[in-house]
Amino acid sequence: MMAMSSSATASNAPLTKRQRTSPYPTWFFLPAAIIYGVLFLFPTFSSIYFSLTRWTLFDSTFIGLDNFAQFFREPFLIQGVINTIIFALVTCTLKVVFGLGLAVLLTSDIRMRALLRSIVFFPVLVSAVGVGIAFTAMMHPTRGIINIALDLVGISGPGWLTNPALAIYSVALVEVWRGVGLATVIFIAGIMSIPQDYYEAARIDGASAWERFCYITLPLSRPATVTVIILSFIHGLRNFELVWAMTRGGPGFASDVLASVIYKQYQAGFYGLSTAGNVVLFVLIALMAIPLYIYLNRREGHQ
Amino acid sequence: MADLALKSIHKSYGSVEVIKGIDLDIGHGEFVVFVGPSGCGKSTLLRMIAGLEEITSGELYIGEKLCNNMEPRDRGIAMVFQSYALYPHMSVYDNVGFGLKLAKAPKEERDRKIREAARILQMEHLLERRPSQLSGGQRQRVAIGRAIVREPEVFLFDEPLSNLDAALRVDMRMELSKLHQQLGATMIYVTHDQVEAMTLADKIVVLNNGEVQQTGAPIDLYKNPANLFVAGFIGSPKMNLSPVIAGEVSGSRIALGGEGLEQLSYAFDGHRQKPGDRLTLGIRPHALKISETGPVKGKVDLVERLGNETIINFRLGNGEQWLAVVDGDAPIGRGGAVAFSVAESDIMLFDENGENVRCLVSAVDGEI
Repeated sequence: MMAMSSSATASNAPLTKRQRTSPYPTWFFLPAAIIYGVLFLFPTFSSIYFSLTRWTLFDSTFIGLDNFAQFFREPFLIQGVINTIIFALVTCTLKVVFGLGLAVLLTSDIRMRALLRSIVFFPVLVSAVGVGIAFTAMMHPTRGIINIALDLVGISGPGWLTNPALAIYSVALVEVWRGVGLATVIFIAGIMSIPQDYYEAARIDGASAWERFCYITLPLSRPATVTVIILSFIHGLRNFELVWAMTRGGPGFASDVLASVIYKQYQAGFYGLSTAGNVVLFVLIALMAIPLYIYLNRREGHQ
Repeated sequence: MADLALKSIHKSYGSVEVIKGIDLDIGHGEFVVFVGPSGCGKSTLLRMIAGLEEITSGELYIGEKLCNNMEPRDRGIAMVFQSYALYPHMSVYDNVGFGLKLAKAPKEERDRKIREAARILQMEHLLERRPSQLSGGQRQRVAIGRAIVREPEVFLFDEPLSNLDAALRVDMRMELSKLHQQLGATMIYVTHDQVEAMTLADKIVVLNNGEVQQTGAPIDLYKNPANLFVAGFIGSPKMNLSPVIAGEVSGSRIALGGEGLEQLSYAFDGHRQKPGDRLTLGIRPHALKISETGPVKGKVDLVERLGNETIINFRLGNGEQWLAVVDGDAPIGRGGAVAFSVAESDIMLFDENGENVRCLVSAVDGEI
């Protein structure tokens, strides 16, 4: 080890030059580059190209930015963007809050901890469409089990998916139920990586359980929190399956998100237009997620 | 400052008993060191005093208060951890002041105490840094600072020097000793390093297998170990130990058999030994003096010259390896014969159970 590093520093300049010109390392890079190129770069750039064309899947005519102009004139686009952001914010916030709470519970000394951890994670394994159909049934205004249960305690439940003002929030709650398991697992990993010594030192310093949570758990599980925020925020912005399975954007267009607006155009045969919509969605996610990521990580660096 | 009393303290994890009934009194302002090999229960005992481990049975008094079920913060203790456990997201200032902040001390008072602790530990220039920007020794200081500001009645140290390099360890040891004099607080210190124990302690508690082997001043433990375990554990290099058989008893004297040690004879005050008893003879390496007519004879295997002293590895007539520590310039060569004399008061004898028989030695025969 020592010999290696000393020889590396001693002959630093010539070695780097040789490394640069040698083709040998390129062979290691090639398989990954091919997979990445075929599966990511090619579709991305071709979709950017097709978004500039009138496209029937078999032939395409270049029409410049017309698709984008038309996409932005779409009457329910604004509603879709607002819903997308609401959906992302609500699911992201609730996943962080519940995920952290559950993780604290599931890292404490409770009975059947392993079993409870599996139960919390279980919804992650179920397909979004399956979850969507099940919850659509449960959220039926008169025959759904949720409102029947509420009736029993004398509350008349709302039309979870039929009330236009409520539909997007109902879907968001289901997404939280479905995705909180993953957030919890990430938080559990974050909390378990905090050395027990800090908690013991804090107990000696006189910290109550709540103060230990605020001063130790919360700041020291920050990397996990950043991961959960970024992942669930992006997931929220991209969400499609659950909305489609539960409301198809309805009632009317009340719960349309960007992805469902795009899908409807695709269904209608406007392939170039829907591809343009996807490019817009990609840019929107990048514009929101990248600054958020930089912001969260910069604050981490300061701490 | 307070005294402590441990009364028949037990600790079990399930059916495994790790602390087997410890009775101990620690005086006000005393520096007490718990020492023992890994797994002897010394850290567990300290953590029970701190309140981080439950006491299975027995009573713990700090001052006049029964503390068995008291929260750590109410016990009037502060603890320095082996890992230091400095909060990585807080500055040194906030680390030191964390306990005061939780206790809702006024800001001015907090600031004054933090700066006072920093002054005592000479770390005023470090207050704005984060733990990750500190060296091992500096972290150690901060951890001690965090303990000082709480003005505890009892300081607890859990192997605080074991993460430091050898030179720094010696420095910090001296500083801890000075700090104890300066603060005059009761301190309990856990270590597996008998040199730390010897140098720091007013009183050493030697633990093994969850039981107290001996309690006493360092020099008492060195001069008069209660049993074979303490004899072997305290002192460096280790005491030479060889099995011997009690021979003829004449008057108050007993002859000792054992190949290579045939013609030693001792005087006892108790006459509890009888011919044929299996005993263990113990002589510290430093107690052996080169003397051509000495009774301890052997063949030199290895000579380690350290400058100020020389460690001689030699083999007795029965093949057992012994050590002797003699002057740095002693004219000893490898492979040669060597003989040592030993002062009567430096000879120890342990019975079959490993207990020191506290012999009174009157003479050692001159020949082999």
